[in-house]
Amino acid sequence: MKQNQKKAWLYLAPTIIFVTFFSIYPILRAFVMSFQSGSLINLNWTGFSNYQYIFHDPEFWLAIRNTILYALISVPVALAISIMLAWLIFSKVKNKSFFETTFFMPYVTSTIAIGIVFRYIFNGDYGMLNFLLRALHLPAPNWIDDPAMSVTTIIIFGIWTSLAFNIVILMGALRNIDPNYYTIADMYGASGTEKFWRITMPQLVPTIAFLLTMNIIAAFKVYTSVYALFNGQAGVGNSATTAVFYIYNKFQIVGTPGVAMAATVVLFIIIMFVTFLQRKMMKKIGGR
Amino acid sequence: MKFSKKLAMAAVAGLALIGTAACSNGGSKSSSSSEKIPSKITKKTTVVFWHGMVGVQQSTLQKLTKEFEKENPKITVKLENQGAYNDLQAKINSTLQSPNNLPTITQAYPGWLWNAAQNDMLVNLTPYINNKSVGWGSAKASNIRTELLDGAKIKGTQYGIPFNKSIETLTYNKDMFKKYGIKKVPTTMEELKSASETIYKKSNHKVVGAGFDSLSNYYVLGMKDDGVNFTKNIDFNGSTSKKVINYYADGIKKGYFRVAGSEHYLSGPFANQKVAMFIGTSAGEGFVKQGVGNKFTYDVAARPGKYTMQQGTDIYMFKHASADQKAAAFKYMKFLVSKSSQLQWANATGYIPVNNNVITSKEYKANKSTKLPAKLDSAMKNLYSVPVEKNSNAAYTQLNSIMQNILSVAQKDQNVNNAINTGKSKFDAAWKQ
Repeated sequence: MKQNQKKAWLYLAPTIIFVTFFSIYPILRAFVMSFQSGSLINLNWTGFSNYQYIFHDPEFWLAIRNTILYALISVPVALAISIMLAWLIFSKVKNKSFFETTFFMPYVTSTIAIGIVFRYIFNGDYGMLNFLLRALHLPAPNWIDDPAMSVTTIIIFGIWTSLAFNIVILMGALRNIDPNYYTIADMYGASGTEKFWRITMPQLVPTIAFLLTMNIIAAFKVYTSVYALFNGQAGVGNSATTAVFYIYNKFQIVGTPGVAMAATVVLFIIIMFVTFLQRKMMKKIGGR
Repeated sequence: MKFSKKLAMAAVAGLALIGTAACSNGGSKSSSSSEKIPSKITKKTTVVFWHGMVGVQQSTLQKLTKEFEKENPKITVKLENQGAYNDLQAKINSTLQSPNNLPTITQAYPGWLWNAAQNDMLVNLTPYINNKSVGWGSAKASNIRTELLDGAKIKGTQYGIPFNKSIETLTYNKDMFKKYGIKKVPTTMEELKSASETIYKKSNHKVVGAGFDSLSNYYVLGMKDDGVNFTKNIDFNGSTSKKVINYYADGIKKGYFRVAGSEHYLSGPFANQKVAMFIGTSAGEGFVKQGVGNKFTYDVAARPGKYTMQQGTDIYMFKHASADQKAAAFKYMKFLVSKSSQLQWANATGYIPVNNNVITSKEYKANKSTKLPAKLDSAMKNLYSVPVEKNSNAAYTQLNSIMQNILSVAQKDQNVNNAINTGKSKFDAAWKQ
C-alpha cells in the first residue's frame, strides 16, 4: 500500500480546518442538540423526547409529505422538460445563443423577485394565469389562497425555476457529443427519434445523473420559493409547509432548537437515503 | 483508509477545542444584579436599539432619536433595523446564546423573551422607574396607562416599557354604509353580522360585508368575550370554541365575510371597495388612508364586542450592558414615552399613545388627519393581551394557520368539523412543546 505524503497534510490543512469547523462540527452539534430540550441558552438532556414530539406532530408529517411530493414530482418533470427544450434548441433552432441567454435569465434573477412576480401571475382574482384559463374556458383555481392548491402551485413554480440551470448544463453536454456519431447514423439512415434515443440519451446519462442528484437535494431543501410565493408564510394555513420551513420555525420562532434539530436529523437521513437509491439506480442505467 | 482515520482524529480534536471554548463561554455569567444606577451620564455612552419599524414609523423614530441626542449630547443611540417582527424575533432568539452581541435595548413582545427572563438575562426596570433622576420616581408618575404597563411584565416582573402599542379597531366605508342603508355602526358581533349580510345582499353579492385581519385575534377575543381566557386549558373542540369558529365560518359559507389570505391585510380590498369594513390594527390607518385617497370616506370605530386586543411591542433591556449604558438607555426610553414624543409618534403613525396625558389631551383629539384619535378613548375601554406563558406565543401564532385551514374549508362550503378536529391536535401540540 502506498503511503500518503506527509506534506500533503500541510496543503490540506486549511480545507480540513474549514470543513471541520463549518461542516462536520455543525452536523455533529445538530445531532447532539436533537437530544436536548430547552432554549439555546439553557439546553438539557431529554433523550428521545424530541423525536417523539415530531413523530406525533401532524405539522411535521405534513412538512415531510409536502417536501417528498415536491421533490418526486418537480424534479423528474423539470428534467424531462429541460431535456426536451435543450434538444429543441440544440437541434432545431437558429440563433442558439439568444435562446440560451433567455433561458438562463431566470437563474441569475433572485428567487424572491421572481416569487413576487409569480404571486401576481397566480392571483386568483386578477392573475394573468387565471385570465388565460378563463379565456380558454378552463377551471381557474385559486392558486395562492386555497390550501388544497398550494403544493401544486409550488411544484409548478419549482419546475419553472429549475429549467434555467438544467438547460444550460444540458446544452453544454449536448455540445460535447461527438458529431461523428450523428454523421455515421445519418449515413445508415437513422431516424430522428432513433438518433435521440440511441445516441443523445446514452451520452447524456452522466449529466442527467449529476442534475438529478443536485436537483433532488435542492428540492428537499426548498424554502425560498415558498417564502416568496406566499408572502413570507408557508401558504394559507401553513398548507405548503416544507421540512426546512418546519425546522426554521421551530428553531427561530418557537424557540425549541432541540425539536428543530431532531427534524434536521430526520431530513438528513431521508436525503442520504434518497441520494443513495438514486446513485444505485443511475449506476444500473449507466452500466447497461 | 488511513487518511479517513486521520481526518476523523483531526475532526475530534477540533471538536474538543470548540467544545471547551463553548463551555468556558457559558460559564461566565455576569452576576451584577444590584448595580448602582448612575444619576448622570458623564462619559460618552452608546445605546444600541434593535427595532422592526418601517416607513413612516421608522422615520418618526429616527426624528425622535435625533431630538433626544440633541438634549443629551453625551448619549448616542444606534438604531438598528432588524426587518419585520418575525425577523426581529428570530434575531433575538439566535443572539441570546452570545449575550455580548445583544443590543442594549430591543423592541419585543413579552412572549418572545420568556426564555430570556427565565435565564435572568433581562433588566428588572422597577428600580429605574422608581429612580428620581433617571426615571419618574414611581410607576404612577410615569403616566403610562396601567394595562399597557402590566402588559410589559413577564411573570410579574416589570421588564419592559410599552412603546409602540396598537389596538384592534373597526374601519368602515362611510359612503357604502349610506348607500346600503346601514344607519348604525356595529358595536356587537350580532350587529356586525347583520350589517354584513345586508351589504352583501343589497350590493348583489359584489361587496363582501366584513373580514378580520388577524384570525388569531379573532379567536382569542371571541373566546374572551364569552368569558374564556387564552390558556392551554382551552378545549378547541368544545362548544364555546365551536360557536366562535362557526360564527366566522358561516359568514364565509354564505359570502358576507371574507379573510385576508396571503395578502395578510384587508386594507387593500377595502380601498378597492371589495369589502365594506374590516377589523384590523389601528397602526394600519396610515395604509388605509393612503389606499383610499379620495375615492370615498372611511371612518374608524371601536371593535365590535366587549374586548379589543392591545398589541404592539414594548422596549426591553438586556443585562450585559454597563451601568452607564443602562441608565442612558432608560433615559431614552423615558424620552420615547414622554408626552411630547408620544404625541408626535401617535399622530404620525397611528399607534396609540401609551401616555395618559396624551390620550386625553386636546392636541391629540383635535388631530384631523387621522380618524382614530377622536374615537380612541371609547375604543380602548376593555383591553386584552395574550398572556405571557410558556408556549402561549407559539399557540397564538399557530391559531392563525389553524383558523385559515378551517375557514378555507368553509369557503368550499364543506363541513368544518374535521378541520376543527385537526385544529385541536395542532393547537394542543403547540402548547405542549
